[in-house]
Amino acid sequence: MRCKALAALAGCGLFIAQLQAIELSGVVQANLTLADDANSFINDGTDILRFDESAFNAQQAVLRAQQDLGSSFTLDVVANYYQDGEQNIGFSQAQLLYKPLSQDTVKFKARAGFFYPAMSLENVDLGWLSPFTYTQSAINSWIGEELRTAGLELSLYSPGRARRSPWSWAFHAAAFKGNDPLGTVISWRGFAMHDRQSLNNDRLNFAPYPTVIDQDIIWHPAWVEPFHEIDGRLGFYIGAHLDYFKQSSFRYYYYDNMADPLALNDQRLYGWRTKFHSFAAQHKITADTRIVSQLMTGSTAMGDRFVYADFDAFYLMLSHKIDKHRVSFRFDRFRVQEDDIIPIDINSSDGFGFTLAWRYSWRENWQFGVEQHYNKNRAQNRTTLGLNPETEQSQTLVVLQYRWK
Amino acid sequence: MKKILAGLLLSLVSSQLFADSISVNLKSNKNRPVFQAVVYLEPMTSVDFPRPQAVSVMDQIDSQFVPHILAVQRGSLVSFPNSDSIKHHVYSFSPTNTFELQLYKGLKAAPLPFEKQGEVELGCNVHDWMLGYILVVDTPYFAKTDQKGTVEIDVPPGEYRLKVWHPRIQDDEVTLAQTVNIAGEYSLDLKLKRDLLEDLTDFESNQDEFSDYD
Repeated sequence: MRCKALAALAGCGLFIAQLQAIELSGVVQANLTLADDANSFINDGTDILRFDESAFNAQQAVLRAQQDLGSSFTLDVVANYYQDGEQNIGFSQAQLLYKPLSQDTVKFKARAGFFYPAMSLENVDLGWLSPFTYTQSAINSWIGEELRTAGLELSLYSPGRARRSPWSWAFHAAAFKGNDPLGTVISWRGFAMHDRQSLNNDRLNFAPYPTVIDQDIIWHPAWVEPFHEIDGRLGFYIGAHLDYFKQSSFRYYYYDNMADPLALNDQRLYGWRTKFHSFAAQHKITADTRIVSQLMTGSTAMGDRFVYADFDAFYLMLSHKIDKHRVSFRFDRFRVQEDDIIPIDINSSDGFGFTLAWRYSWRENWQFGVEQHYNKNRAQNRTTLGLNPETEQSQTLVVLQYRWK
Repeated sequence: MKKILAGLLLSLVSSQLFADSISVNLKSNKNRPVFQAVVYLEPMTSVDFPRPQAVSVMDQIDSQFVPHILAVQRGSLVSFPNSDSIKHHVYSFSPTNTFELQLYKGLKAAPLPFEKQGEVELGCNVHDWMLGYILVVDTPYFAKTDQKGTVEIDVPPGEYRLKVWHPRIQDDEVTLAQTVNIAGEYSLDLKLKRDLLEDLTDFESNQDEFSDYD
């Protein structure tokens, strides 16, 4: 009896010791949105901002848990709540990281699970959020919506300081399953700008474009579940990072989901062969002023060239910090150009946007911010819904944030 | 009363013992002062120094080791507090002292003993740019050079081997060492023969509050 009690106590002690190693952090953002009268993509509309009426909203609710498993492994999970969209609670990332201690100047690390490739220099805050603006760039709004790696990434990296060099570098290579429908939303809806990341089992609705849902034309649901495996093939990406001190950073990725465009599942979701190059750069002009930029160019194909589109997107951001204030300004340009065999399914779209945000961290955990956004965009397939292909949208966000680490 | 007298006598003796000092100025081969170099004096005759009582501190502030270079006497305890709100994972592969410490926010790790003399290079497995050094010396007579490359050490009179160490110095340690006989004030100018290794302090001056490492 006594032995059992002691064993239970020892087990309890071990459990507490394990608990001490769990690190919890999180972000909660609530906003007051002043929106144009619009019909957001998130409500099955064609407009490209997340909020389409003036109201109070829960913008983000992120909880991150990190648990070390011995010296080399860490379990890292990010759970989210969203008031909008189809899946309200779930995971945006869940991964096991392996980073052994090494005295070599070229080191090895790996991760497996459900995660983002580290393409972005914009999404560097907790939970893959942007610390600069609330409305993210067109490129990373799309990544957050449709792209996630369910697979294994292997990396070789060399921190410069340990080699007595100002240059640090890393190479990444990954193989993954799933993500076969990647490209669906940018082909039909076009690029959007928001901060709604898709959760592990999410469904993205878009407007019921007649040529898409018509059984005699494309016959696809007016939604996509972006993380499905459709054809059983592996996709891959490779990436390279180069840093000069901590002043300048450059990241290049080539991504190809290797999907079979003729593969179709019982939900009538297709494989979309999507491949792209991503170039991201950051340079700190001074300790408080930085330029961040990203360029993406690629293509996507579905069916027997039922849809084929080239897409390009770019942003340039200037961000400056003055004491507890950060002001960021970003210009976005995005374009989808179609070249397929169904002329009545007209999917070309393009646009640009300006986003100006001021964020004031007035206390350790609290931040207040105001963002003004404007965009002008055109999507040809709006005409199939009886809408004007061109639209302009403005949005003001007043955001209160609580963040703990 | 006896205790007070004994105390007075002891302070007189110790002030007599440390009446002498050595001033060293260290310059690079380009005639520029060398900052944060450790200068230390090892007695030529074997002396059994008492173990140091104070605990030395190698802190982590804004994802950097502070100080960048810490000199301690052999047998010292060194604590590794974490002043950041994020985890650090400090390690050393140096033969002088091989260890790893998972330093979670808010947890205090027990100080580590440094029983062997020599150089200890520190890294952090979370933040790859972090680099720090602990030099363990077998003497209580040591100090780091200031911005002007100057250091002053109080030391009892006698014959010593004067040594200099800094991770950027490429000069041979043996040829850089000098035998000094200290009786009264002693001043020494040292100039390096070889180039210093590249200055990498920009890894510290260009901090980023955002990092996808954490």
